[in-house]
Amino acid sequence: MSRKPYQRELPKTTWFLRHARYKKYMLHEISAIAVAVYLLILIVGLFRLAQGPDAWAGWLAFVTSPLGLVIHLIVFGLSLVHTTAWFKAVPQAMRIQRGEQFVPGPTIVGAHYVVWAAVSVFVLILAGVA
Amino acid sequence: MTERKIELEVLRYRPEQDAEPWFQTYTVPCPEEWVVLDALNYVKDEIDRTLSYRWSCHMFVCGSCGMVIDGEPKLACKAFLRDYGDKIRVEPLANFPIERDLVIVMDDFMEKLESVKPYLIPKEEKSLDEGSYLQTPAQLKAYKQYSMCINCMLCYSACPQYGLAPEFIGPAALALAHRYNMDSRDVGRKAREDTVASHEGIWECSFVGACSEVCPKSVDPAGAIQQVKFSSAIDYFTSWLPGGGSR
Ligand code: SF4
Ligand code: FES
Repeated sequence: MSRKPYQRELPKTTWFLRHARYKKYMLHEISAIAVAVYLLILIVGLFRLAQGPDAWAGWLAFVTSPLGLVIHLIVFGLSLVHTTAWFKAVPQAMRIQRGEQFVPGPTIVGAHYVVWAAVSVFVLILAGVA
Repeated sequence: MTERKIELEVLRYRPEQDAEPWFQTYTVPCPEEWVVLDALNYVKDEIDRTLSYRWSCHMFVCGSCGMVIDGEPKLACKAFLRDYGDKIRVEPLANFPIERDLVIVMDDFMEKLESVKPYLIPKEEKSLDEGSYLQTPAQLKAYKQYSMCINCMLCYSACPQYGLAPEFIGPAALALAHRYNMDSRDVGRKAREDTVASHEGIWECSFVGACSEVCPKSVDPAGAIQQVKFSSAIDYFTSWLPGGGSR
């Protein structure tokens, strides 16, 4: 009997629309872009600072403008998505074995949140906010 | 005993007659405690003997009844009807060619499994008289989870990376390589590295993580792959240090 296997193709560009979990993955990936863009904005800020008071004031005016605030909100939301997604995945990539047991996932994730909070407070103190 | 009439929409493909797959609907009277596999068996026994699908153990150990049920890769013997509506769509595993109906061609998977040298490569061969290679419970624990795979291929069906780049060695095979690498009796990591730590190996994975979500045995192949990435990256960097071995 001759065989005739049927090959189904995965649509190259729209595959991620097929399942909620793929859309979530795409959101994680896109959130990385938001973080990168925000880094760029900060680096530009540094350059402006080096260029003198006027340049700096201009950059400051931009980031505190309504548009700047909207950008901040979007980036903040997406970096939360990014951070929580990766924290959640840490126990998969990092297993710590003690004797016959593994350190439980929630402990590892929890430690990340503690460090995150500590660093945030430290930065806020540095910035003179807290 | 309560019974429900379930409409089973099954993807059919009969290579002799069909140019492409199509859905056939069977109405099956199902007792409450049935799984999708029971419903398929009912169809085969009572309605349509031409329907083809794979199964064997009916207790989630043989790994042969993998199919896509309502869009999700599942073991048909583990998919309880009470978790589904009155209409259930059953398709063959995605990302594999269809041989017939719900039966897929698994040659590619078998080749990939073989390619990672999935067997113990001990430091020195022992004869039977010399006894077995000993291992502590802690050493067993280090890899046990990755040894639970039943080769059901649900992870390959869920993996978009495998669908888009079929040369990808894929979740189960890479997790199996990790299983042997993590075994205290094994020294084969270097021997597996050319395959495992290659572009078609771990570096093709972008950590979608779908494989681990659908795995019926909690093997967590995605986790295994990230761990291998980590140790391969460490290897790479230490190889540039003085006395760090050759590249
Ligand atoms: S890793 Fe899990 S989903 Fe993949 S083949 Fe093994 S048991 Fe099945
Ligand atoms: S029939 Fe064996 S796993 Fe389902």
